[in-house]
Amino acid sequence: MSSTEERVTALVAANLEVDGQPLGDSLNLEASLVDHGVSSLDLVAFAKVVAQDFGVTFSTEDCASINTIQGLIDFLDG
Amino acid sequence: MGCRVGGSADSVDDPWWRLLKSTGRLEINHVSLAPHSSHEERAWDWLSDEERRRWERFLRSGPRRRFALCRAALRAVLCSRLGCDNRDLAFEVSEYGKPFALLRGERAPIGFNVSHSGSHGLIALAEQGRVGVDVEERRRRGNLDDLAETVFGAEERALVAELRGEAKLHTFYDFWTVKEALAKALGTGLHTDFARFQVPPEMRGGERTGLFRFPHLSDVIWEVENLGSRQTAMAVALEVDPKGTGGLTPGVGHSGWEQDGQPFRSKPERRRRHQTRG
Repeated sequence: MSSTEERVTALVAANLEVDGQPLGDSLNLEASLVDHGVSSLDLVAFAKVVAQDFGVTFSTEDCASINTIQGLIDFLDG
Repeated sequence: MGCRVGGSADSVDDPWWRLLKSTGRLEINHVSLAPHSSHEERAWDWLSDEERRRWERFLRSGPRRRFALCRAALRAVLCSRLGCDNRDLAFEVSEYGKPFALLRGERAPIGFNVSHSGSHGLIALAEQGRVGVDVEERRRRGNLDDLAETVFGAEERALVAELRGEAKLHTFYDFWTVKEALAKALGTGLHTDFARFQVPPEMRGGERTGLFRFPHLSDVIWEVENLGSRQTAMAVALEVDPKGTGGLTPGVGHSGWEQDGQPFRSKPERRRRHQTRG
């Protein structure tokens, strides 16, 4: 597991939940975040957390282009 | 001709949706998304094969339930409005993911938009003009001021920053749902940079309705309404009929409104305005 993947999955576990349950319990890196049940506001809020942790910036447009957690990891490694 | 969801019944018994608002051009239905086994079974029966495959892709029961109940309710209200059978309906999405309906293979003569959050869903239908809707349960979040930096303009951020507690949470969600309804009505959703446009000034001042123009689309006016309650934030945006007839509020047309003036223009638009002034 890459360093980026470890950091992102830790942030998912600490910050993303659906129906009160942490998303980390059933995280599939390749599955669409929509299919996980993540709302657009949750997605933007999570991107803010990731941005602060990695020292990058995301606009809402960037959030729209990141469909999966693997896509986010690739974006950060790119 | 009545609604024939499932291809058999002339009406739907025990619906899980109800009319929330109806005006000349706009109809909004609230959909109950609380767990309910018989509703969920009936909803699943109404889905197409493609929708059932989509249902299977959801990884948890909550998102599956919300998708099935909302999509089946959408099918029912569209069948009722269009006088068609459920099997006559199909759905496609635009470039940025906004769904639209096909009636017997042709684009249906009605627009719609759907949103859901927790146990609440909203379906907005409009025969003229683009429509967008958003609903969010007002659940507590981390640092709202931090999040506001990404999604709000300067005046919105300042308003949220000076509030505390419930008032801050309430205002944050009111602004967010108005902005998401507008972005969904436009059809670009999160592909829109939310920080570059703002809730209409009158709504920032506490009004429940307002008129809005995206600075990069200055010819198009949108009516916006805050439909929220204490627990749930809800908003709808409807493109004003170019003929001047109102949708959310009868009598509202092009006249009597001034542009917000916040920067959201594309570069060519900005240049064009500059040349006009010069």
